[in-house]
Amino acid sequence: MAPALAPPPADGNPPEVSAALTTTTVQVTSGFRGARIVLYGAVFDPRDRPSDVVVIVRGPDQPIRIARKTRVGGLWINSRPVVFQGAPGFYMAASSRPLDQIAGFGVLRRLGAGIDHLAMNAPAEQRVETRYGVRDMVVSRLGADYLDWRRAVVRLKQRAHLYDADDHGVTFVDKGLFKSEIDLPTEAPIGQYRAEIILFQDGQPVSRRVRDLTVEKVGLERALYLFAHHWPWTYGFVSVGVALAAGWGASAAFRRR
Amino acid sequence: MFDLYLPIAEISVNAPLLVALGAAVGFISGLFGIGGGFLMTPILLLIGIPAPVAVASLSSHVAASSTSSVISYSRARAVDFRMGGVLASGGAVGSFAGVEVFRWLRLLGQADLAVSLCYLVFLGIIGGLMLVESLGAILRQRSGKGAPPRRDKRPPWLYGLPLKMRFPRSRLYISIIPPLALGVFVGMLSAIMGVGGGFILVPAMVYILRMPAGVVVGTSLFQIIITTTLTSVLQAGRNQTVDIVLATLLLIGGVIGAQAGAKASSRFRAEELRAILALIVLAVGIRMGIGLFLAPEEPFLLMAGAG
Repeated sequence: MAPALAPPPADGNPPEVSAALTTTTVQVTSGFRGARIVLYGAVFDPRDRPSDVVVIVRGPDQPIRIARKTRVGGLWINSRPVVFQGAPGFYMAASSRPLDQIAGFGVLRRLGAGIDHLAMNAPAEQRVETRYGVRDMVVSRLGADYLDWRRAVVRLKQRAHLYDADDHGVTFVDKGLFKSEIDLPTEAPIGQYRAEIILFQDGQPVSRRVRDLTVEKVGLERALYLFAHHWPWTYGFVSVGVALAAGWGASAAFRRR
Repeated sequence: MFDLYLPIAEISVNAPLLVALGAAVGFISGLFGIGGGFLMTPILLLIGIPAPVAVASLSSHVAASSTSSVISYSRARAVDFRMGGVLASGGAVGSFAGVEVFRWLRLLGQADLAVSLCYLVFLGIIGGLMLVESLGAILRQRSGKGAPPRRDKRPPWLYGLPLKMRFPRSRLYISIIPPLALGVFVGMLSAIMGVGGGFILVPAMVYILRMPAGVVVGTSLFQIIITTTLTSVLQAGRNQTVDIVLATLLLIGGVIGAQAGAKASSRFRAEELRAILALIVLAVGIRMGIGLFLAPEEPFLLMAGAG
């Protein structure tokens, strides 16, 4: 979704933002314990108007299954799980000021900037019906609890360091020069990430850059993962074979003593 | 600095810690002649391994540690291979069913409820019974009385059933239906709880099938190898949840621990061993089940894998 940028001012060059990542490929090896990627960039504005920078990093989309514990006959039991679609497996929003001071609600919502503006919903829980004479209204079976569920998704993801919002995550280190840090936890999903760098002036996005980031398994990790998923039965036989041989080997080794 | 990233579980764990845990559980498993899965699954869940991966990877771990001990038992002629074979054919049916049931429960989002309930119910009952029985034995010994007259009356229903078979090493001539049914039951538990099922098999073989104590442990281990091998292949094939790196780490410690445990077991009295095992079993059952009764701090939980 290409956000609508404000038209360039009539006079002179339009303001622009430029940015780069220190690493564009994160390799998940056996020693992987998360990664920190530095994003740095510059704002070019001949007229030096006050600028704000927002960095949004999205990982690959992952459906989220979430359940709520409810009390049934004295036991705490999981409810039927609710599936949220369209939520990224990793999300970070960093900005030079609190987002609500940078731009208005509508602008942020359109850009999907900020955790509150993430477009995720639970399609299986929705149905379209006519209410109060209005046709095609989307009604969620979760009803008024919908926000509780949504907030719970965000809270749990934040606890796992998979979602992050930092109001001061973009810092200007020099005039027009800024940097930000992306912290990937060990649990970060494998796949294509997209970092979007947006320059705001007067509450409107005026320039935008997109940078790609790849998180991939390499070496033995990748080989084993592919093996397990492409040839699951062979993998099963091999892993059990290794286990049985190890058991037999240990027994033989101990007998000799 | 010794952290290792697990390719299937997709989390990073401390390798020496896992090897040490494997060794500790292996020692206990060798000491008591059990697979040790009932201890290992809760530990893995506690350190954050997702339940489906923990349960599936443990099957291959249990298969390995049981292989290591069954060889020593078979050398001592303490394995009834015929009885083990009957139990295992029931076990094969049970693990097929169990893997499917587990898959279904996972899709319903009730897998962890089922795991907790199974632990609470089965470990609670078995642990309680064992504790009462072994404490009774210890008290009798202390007060100098001999063992109570052994009720050697075998349950008549065991003999009324058809399809009788001779089990020379167990000195039994019984119907194969009870061992088959026992095998099916244990096979299902093995797939759902990530255990070998020795903690149920051993008492059932002693009290229901009335097998001689000498062959019970070896035979149960033999049946466990077959069931867990099958479960492990099925879990890998159906659910892709066997983490070979995790299993190998546990194995390294496990096989060594099991040998040390088997050596140490001769130094203890049987009833004292049983009392200690009963306490461990009870503690694990309560630890796993207690979450069902306490109000959760966080009412929501994310579930692994979208169904």
